[in-house]
Amino acid sequence: MKYFSLLLPLLFLLLFVFAAIKRVKLYDCFTEGVKGAVPLVLSLFPYLAVILMLSELFEQSGLSAVLTKALSPVFSFLGIPPEISKLVLLKPFSGSGSTALLSEILKTYGADSYISRCACACYGSSETVFYISAIYYAGVEKKGRALPIFIALLSGFAGTIAACLLCRIV
Amino acid sequence: MNGVFAVVFAVAGGMFLFFDPEGFLPALLKGGEKAATLSLSLLASYCVWLGFFKVLERSGLALFLSRKFSAPAKKLFRTEDEDVLPIVCGNLSANLLGLPGAPTPLGVEATRRFLAAKNDYAADMLFVLNATSLQLLPTTAIALRAAAGSLSPADIFLPTLLSTLVSTLLGAILVFLLCGRRRAR
Repeated sequence: MKYFSLLLPLLFLLLFVFAAIKRVKLYDCFTEGVKGAVPLVLSLFPYLAVILMLSELFEQSGLSAVLTKALSPVFSFLGIPPEISKLVLLKPFSGSGSTALLSEILKTYGADSYISRCACACYGSSETVFYISAIYYAGVEKKGRALPIFIALLSGFAGTIAACLLCRIV
Repeated sequence: MNGVFAVVFAVAGGMFLFFDPEGFLPALLKGGEKAATLSLSLLASYCVWLGFFKVLERSGLALFLSRKFSAPAKKLFRTEDEDVLPIVCGNLSANLLGLPGAPTPLGVEATRRFLAAKNDYAADMLFVLNATSLQLLPTTAIALRAAAGSLSPADIFLPTLLSTLVSTLLGAILVFLLCGRRRAR
C-alpha cells in the first residue's frame, strides 16, 4: 500500500520524460488536451444534474428506505446481510452517497467485522451504474439503452452476492 | 431512461406529497447543487487527465501500447478503428489502476466515436465494462478501513477482486450474448 502512492507521480514523470525525448512540445500539447475539458463537462452537465436530482428525490422521499425494507428478506435469502442492503441499493445511484454510507457502516460495526468486510467488497465490486450511463450515453437519443443498463445492474448484483459469499470463506 | 425517470419521479414525488411536501423543493435543489459541485470537480480531473492523455497520444506511446492490446481489443469491441483503440485502452487501464477521475473522459470520448461509427455493440460493451468496475486495488475501501482503525485494511483485496471479476465477466458475457444478437437482427 505504501508504494501505491508512488504510482501517479512516477506515471507522469516517466511519460513527460519520454515525451520530451520524443521532442513533444509539452506545454502546448498539455494545454491542447485541457482545452477539451470545458466543452466535455458542459455537454455532460444537464444529464448529471437530472440524475443527481432524481437520486436525491429517491433518497429524501424515503423511497429508498421503503425499498430497502421490502427487499431485505430477498437479500438475506441470497446471503446479503440486511445491514448492508441499503448500500447495495444506493450504490447504482450515488457514488458519494455510498462512500459516506460505507464509512458509516465501518464505524458502526467495526472495521474488521464480517459486515464491514462484506460492505467493502460490495462497494468495490460494482459502480454507480446510473451515473455512468447518464454520462456515457449523454445526448444519445436512441432506443435499446435499457438493455446494457440492465446487464450492468444484474452483473453488479451478482458480484455483490459473490462478495458476501467470499467474505464468509476468505 | 425516460421510463425510469418517470417512474422514480412519480413515486418519489407522490411520497413527498403525502409525507413531506416542504421537503420536495430542497431535495431537488440539493441535487442541482451536487451537480454543480460535482461538475467542478469533474472539470478539475478532466483538465489533468485530458492533458495527460494528449501528451501520451502525441508522444506515440498511446499507439504503441494499444498495438500491444489491439488484437484482443479488436475482438472484444468488434472494431477495426485504429483511432479509437488507444482511447479505449487508456480507459480500461485507468480503470484497472483505479486512477481517480481518469476513466470517464476517455470512456465518454470512445463511446461517442463508437456511436458515431454506428458500432452500438462496442459502446454497450465499454459501458458495461466500466459500470461493473474492474479495479485491481480497491483504494477507497482500503483507505476508509484504515481510517476506521482496521488491523489489516488490505485483506479485503482478494474478495473484492474476485467479486468484481465475477461481475465484469458476467457483464461481458451478457453483452456478447444479448447485444450482439440484437445487432445481427
